[in-house]
Amino acid sequence: MFIGTEQLTHTYMPGTPFATKALHDISFNFKQGDFALIIGPSGSGKSTLIQHLNGLLKPTSGQVVFEGKNIGSDKQELLRLRKRIGLVFQMPEEQFFSETVFDEVAFAPRNQGFDENEVENKVIEALEKTGLDPNELRMRHPFQLSAGQKRLVAIAAVLSLNPEVLILDEPTVALDTAYRKNLFDLLTGLNHKEKLTIIISTHHLDEAAALADRVLVLKQGELAMFGPAVEVFGRREELYSLGLALPPVTEIMHGLAEKGMPVSTSVYTLQEARREINKVKRRDRS
Amino acid sequence: MAAQPSTIIEAKDVDFYYPGGEDADSPALSGINLTVNQGEYVALVGPNGSGKTTFLKLLNALLIPTHGQVLVKGISTAVESTLPEVRRVCGMIFQNPDNQLVATTVEEDIAFGLENLALPPEEIRNRVFKTAALLGLEKLLSQPPHLLSGGEKQRVAIAGVLVMEPECILMDEPTAMLDPAGRRDVLNTVRELNRNRNIAVIHVTHFPEEAAGTDRVVILNEGKLAADGASAEVMTDLQFLHGLGLQGTTAVELAALLRQDSFPLPPQILYNRELVDSLCSLGQNS
Amino acid sequence: MTRSITLGQYIPGQSFIHRLNPRLKILILVLILVLLFLLETFGALLASLAAALAMFALAGIPFSYLMRGLRPIFYIALFALIIYFFFTSGGVVLLRIGFITVESEGVEQGLFIVARLVVLVLFSLLVTLTTTPLSLTHGMGYFLKPLRYAGLPTEEVAMIMAVALRFIPTLMEESQRLMRAQLARGADFETGSIFRKAGNMVPLIVPLFVSAFRRADELALAMEARGYRIGARRTRMHEDIITLKDWGALALVLVLVALVWAFSL
Repeated sequence: MFIGTEQLTHTYMPGTPFATKALHDISFNFKQGDFALIIGPSGSGKSTLIQHLNGLLKPTSGQVVFEGKNIGSDKQELLRLRKRIGLVFQMPEEQFFSETVFDEVAFAPRNQGFDENEVENKVIEALEKTGLDPNELRMRHPFQLSAGQKRLVAIAAVLSLNPEVLILDEPTVALDTAYRKNLFDLLTGLNHKEKLTIIISTHHLDEAAALADRVLVLKQGELAMFGPAVEVFGRREELYSLGLALPPVTEIMHGLAEKGMPVSTSVYTLQEARREINKVKRRDRS
Repeated sequence: MAAQPSTIIEAKDVDFYYPGGEDADSPALSGINLTVNQGEYVALVGPNGSGKTTFLKLLNALLIPTHGQVLVKGISTAVESTLPEVRRVCGMIFQNPDNQLVATTVEEDIAFGLENLALPPEEIRNRVFKTAALLGLEKLLSQPPHLLSGGEKQRVAIAGVLVMEPECILMDEPTAMLDPAGRRDVLNTVRELNRNRNIAVIHVTHFPEEAAGTDRVVILNEGKLAADGASAEVMTDLQFLHGLGLQGTTAVELAALLRQDSFPLPPQILYNRELVDSLCSLGQNS
Repeated sequence: MTRSITLGQYIPGQSFIHRLNPRLKILILVLILVLLFLLETFGALLASLAAALAMFALAGIPFSYLMRGLRPIFYIALFALIIYFFFTSGGVVLLRIGFITVESEGVEQGLFIVARLVVLVLFSLLVTLTTTPLSLTHGMGYFLKPLRYAGLPTEEVAMIMAVALRFIPTLMEESQRLMRAQLARGADFETGSIFRKAGNMVPLIVPLFVSAFRRADELALAMEARGYRIGARRTRMHEDIITLKDWGALALVLVLVALVWAFSL
């Protein structure tokens, strides 16, 4: 098992009258190099699950596993773990506290005890990976950047540790279409070129569905579905009843299929849809 | 110079400059003329920084035009003494549901605007309960806002506006931070109020699907009015939208690609259903 | 998501004490505090302790809350006892350690003071445990009203308090989230000297302030958009109605105070 959980249960404020079960009996595993999605309506436990994966939250029962080993609670071990498993929170630009982009991105490597030369290299490399220009931005005030740039700097601030796994909680929330597309392009690049294992939670299946290898669906703290993307997205009615929506392109393909056109419904992008429709129609004509 | 009875909002030659800073010589808005009638559902669209939010704030007298004037039911927003009436007629819903709820319980939050009008407590209670029943919020009345889901919070915000018996609801990206279910909930609620109570809606949105669902689309670009027309016309002019860095609905985008592949699709396709029907009828003809 | 953060110490309930009008509850508390200072005998003090415990039972508040509420005054009580035991003279000498003596009057006074403090805290606790923070704020706002004539914006102060109460859970949730977010970036909030620790708090404090100011900004806008104007007259959805029961409770406490005074118990 690369990264996953075994019978993970998490209860907030256990033993008090306010105890609430946030996660119940969750077992799954993602493979190295996966682009994995965690989806579910808000309040279904996505953020809670994600924060277990690098030891920020501790299971009430069950285990979190990374490379076949249980994540323990030893402090030094956790610090090393967080270097390998980077976690970008929801609206990460709200964590900014430095006066320059450089210091913001340097925070994580400095915490890991790298010397300033190494820190400098790591900061520049991280900014470049996100497509930002280090020379132009490094001395800028992080609060003065555009919404899209802020989000990228926040991601660079985690990439600066060279993690092997990058987890992002709702990375596109409150971003407009152009920024959203840019961000997904970036994640695809990191997944393909840098061989990063990527795990994201999201509501926006529009872009994410096409990229996903494996999908985990949560419903009120329980595992509703887990499997390869094609399989999970094939269960359209179930997803719909959970208040989740497939990409509009996929809906169009389902519409066509319902009307008797022999198209595949495992289509998540405009270009795929274009190809599929052309293929079927050409065959029609010939 | 009395406005026509059915006119709710009238912007006349509106310029707006934010005081000080780098914006001093470049206006946030310039030369805006716009009339919105009773019961209209208008989408306000535009790239980031095009002045959408600024314009919305002008309609609720949160900002006052630098030149020109904004009339709400014939009343100028620049007159201090009539502000309560302007704000009663035009209620506003903001993007972040967390930061617009004032009170510690749902019912007291819905009551907030009425309390500001210093109405008798009994009348306030009656109107709050009636409004809550209309929006299906009865069970949440004694809940504190922080325990609600995003969609519920936005519906409470809508109730807080609706209780004032407004004639126009201004919404600034009200669904940007919601999950698909919450989004559907809010959109349906607003659509029903628009249809059944003839309340005008001005809805700032980044989602092409949301814009396509309205009666009329107004596009702002660099502080100027770039388009104003029926949504079926504006949202199908893909060349124009792309020119401004905007996107069409998935159906419009896919139809355009298929036309490039010489599929003879009609130009007015806007929704998924229309694209599916057109494609299927092509099949029958060939 | 921490859905379970509660405001203040309020324990929901439907008891007689829960339902007392908050304004009168505050007034009654003040009277009881006066009463406690009038008491002169151990017997009367014990009787009031019994009364306090009976009211806790009536309000259905678990014993554990009572102990937790008393914990903060433990050191104050200890300190008071030491001062009185060793530094008050009079009566019989009970103990002599070198040149320090413990005399009976000191012991008596010390115990009396501490017992009074405990009862006093118990009654105050009873009020905060049975009244929502918002009602409490409004109740206190009522007694501050006369200050309006001295030029104090009492209505606005009440609004500030209410808004603060609304945002306490939101900001607590946010600080927890921020703490974990910075931990994920390898931050350390625990080790090092106190100065180091203070420095390490910067990544927590700065974003919290930035966010609080942004929220304040948006909230101000939303309040303005909903017709709130500083200085304008407002009404409230829930009137503050004082019932016969409330007056009865007040009368009872007044009679008690009069009795204690008359017979110097």
